[in-house]
Amino acid sequence: MSEPVLRCQGLRKRFGDIQAVNGVSFEIAPGESYGLLGPNGAGKTTTISIVAGLLEADAGEAFVAGERLTTRSVAAKAAIGFVPQELAIYPDLTAHENLSFFARLYGLSAKQARARTEEVLEVIGLSERADDQAKTYSGGMKRRLNIGIGLLHEPKLLILDEPTVGVDPQSRNAILESVEQLGERGMAVLYTTHYMEEAERLCDRVGIIDHGELKAEGTREELVALLGEHDKVHLMGTGSLEAAANACARIGAVDAASAGDGSIELLVKGASAALPEILTTASEAGVSVHSVEVEAPNLEAVFLHLTGRALRD
Amino acid sequence: MKVLAIVRTELTRTFRWRANIFFLLIMPMGLILLLGVAFGNSNARVGVVNRGDGALAGQLVKALGNEPGLDARSYGSQGSMEKAVERGYVSAGLVIPSRFDARIQAGKPVALRYFGRPDSLAPQVRIAVESAVSAQGSDIAAAQIVRSARKTSLQSALGRVKAVKVAAPVSVQLLSAKGGKYPKSQGQFDRSASTQLLLFVFLSALTGSVWLIETRRLGVARRMLSTPSSAREILLGIVIGRWVITLMQSLLIVLFSWLVFSVSWGNPLGTAAVILSFSLVAVGAGVLIGTLFSSEQQAGPVGMIVGLTFAAIGGSMAPLDAFPTTVRKVAHVTPHAWANDAFNHLLVNGGGFGTVLLDVAILCGYAVVLLTLATWRLRRVLTA
Repeated sequence: MSEPVLRCQGLRKRFGDIQAVNGVSFEIAPGESYGLLGPNGAGKTTTISIVAGLLEADAGEAFVAGERLTTRSVAAKAAIGFVPQELAIYPDLTAHENLSFFARLYGLSAKQARARTEEVLEVIGLSERADDQAKTYSGGMKRRLNIGIGLLHEPKLLILDEPTVGVDPQSRNAILESVEQLGERGMAVLYTTHYMEEAERLCDRVGIIDHGELKAEGTREELVALLGEHDKVHLMGTGSLEAAANACARIGAVDAASAGDGSIELLVKGASAALPEILTTASEAGVSVHSVEVEAPNLEAVFLHLTGRALRD
Repeated sequence: MKVLAIVRTELTRTFRWRANIFFLLIMPMGLILLLGVAFGNSNARVGVVNRGDGALAGQLVKALGNEPGLDARSYGSQGSMEKAVERGYVSAGLVIPSRFDARIQAGKPVALRYFGRPDSLAPQVRIAVESAVSAQGSDIAAAQIVRSARKTSLQSALGRVKAVKVAAPVSVQLLSAKGGKYPKSQGQFDRSASTQLLLFVFLSALTGSVWLIETRRLGVARRMLSTPSSAREILLGIVIGRWVITLMQSLLIVLFSWLVFSVSWGNPLGTAAVILSFSLVAVGAGVLIGTLFSSEQQAGPVGMIVGLTFAAIGGSMAPLDAFPTTVRKVAHVTPHAWANDAFNHLLVNGGGFGTVLLDVAILCGYAVVLLTLATWRLRRVLTA
């Protein structure tokens, strides 16, 4: 097996009383897309910040392209392209100026910077607006520029921290297509998201993270296999959803239950047999059920199974 | 090269915002002009109505204009001169009567009418006017003695008296209290130009902290740190960028005031050393403020208050000489006081580079401390 592009071992980080990252270990192989899937506050961004060399871990270590990563390690950072969640661009500079500026910071010569800026402008589809100030761009265009900066020096590892947050569906799809193409070019990608469908679509392997701990990792199939014969059941209704979810969780066939916005999600072994009891229990708990959906298991169901709560919580 | 990329970006962003060109470059020069006009001219003005048409009357007007601290302004009539005195356009007025020369030639006394204002300048102006008049009177008295002894004309006798005065072996040399050269009298804008330069350079460097905060708020500073660039390189780029901007501002103030107001900036090497070191202190303070606050709304007013307070304490709004000794000592907590001292050595006392070495060394010390603190803080806020 080839040397991993990223290797994290036992990463820990505490902020005051909060253990943000607690013993996270994973590896990413060259050309592999790895997703960190978890809800807000799960520890994804802290993990990413450590891996991008922006935050010093309290314990554990990370290696990028064989180089030990700290906040001061220049060699390791040269192998990383970091795309933060926020739009880290100068709005009063043009796309061309933003890209040229960061190209020089990534250590490219003036000639290389010029060439790569033009190439990246093509890749992100901003060539025609290259000389307009970024503040005049749409949200999607700014997002593409934000990603483009991370591609300038053709890094071995591209880190994308929730790149589709606050993006319209059309731009979101364009971003996901771009990331898919990067994987095809052999660039390793570390992608954090709390959208299950993004992780399923983009990532070769997924790590499920919650409360700072990596609960499980593997391919989609490997993770779903953890569920056995479980189905995911959605009960849409009104009433005491929280109480109904707690009552349903006590049913033998129900592995996990979580109440959300107008619905209850359940992970059920043998859904067709258990459904009458579930509906009765929900009704007795004061919920008027309007509709029921039974889905084949997916990563969201895996998350529910591993953490006892839904991704949206 | 990374540092240069940051410097170029700082300059591009600063001057792309047109209002900055006004605040950084145009406004300081406007204020130098305004303050120079309002407070710069310490000479008192005397209105003169010359009804006499002879050479002696003309010589008296000229002598008034040559009196130190006095400017003579001619008026066509006594009425217009009186109005000017009443309205404070001139501090006093003097009427030279008709037949001034003729009466003196005839050895008769001449009465000059003097109009004064009841203000604090009045005694000083009166002494200056009396000094000019009595100087001419003593020359004429001596000339009349020569005329009677040599049987010559008064003009010829006056010529001889003046020649004797010029050849007199007694010379007067003015020395300062410390024995050095007596301070040269300054032009109207000389003091305001150097003090305003310090005020504006510091103020604009401090308010420039909002640019660093914006860079942090946008996440660009953090992203810069994720590249293979050290915190020191990033800070160096930011500092040099801001330094270049303050130096451009300083250079423009120096050139503009020199070309337009004929301000003398003294020894070029000494002035350059003071401006370079003081600008670096200002940038260090600005960058430190940019790391201490998290929003532009906090840093902007703080920068303004600190900048104006330091300028007031440090002698950029009122001369340090006007403060009591204890206040002058306290004022030297500010870099402004050291820079103002240095400019006094250069511009008032006509000193050379050597006279400002101590002040420049202290300013460099300020810069080192501030920039070290700023580097530590920037690293901390970006990686905490």
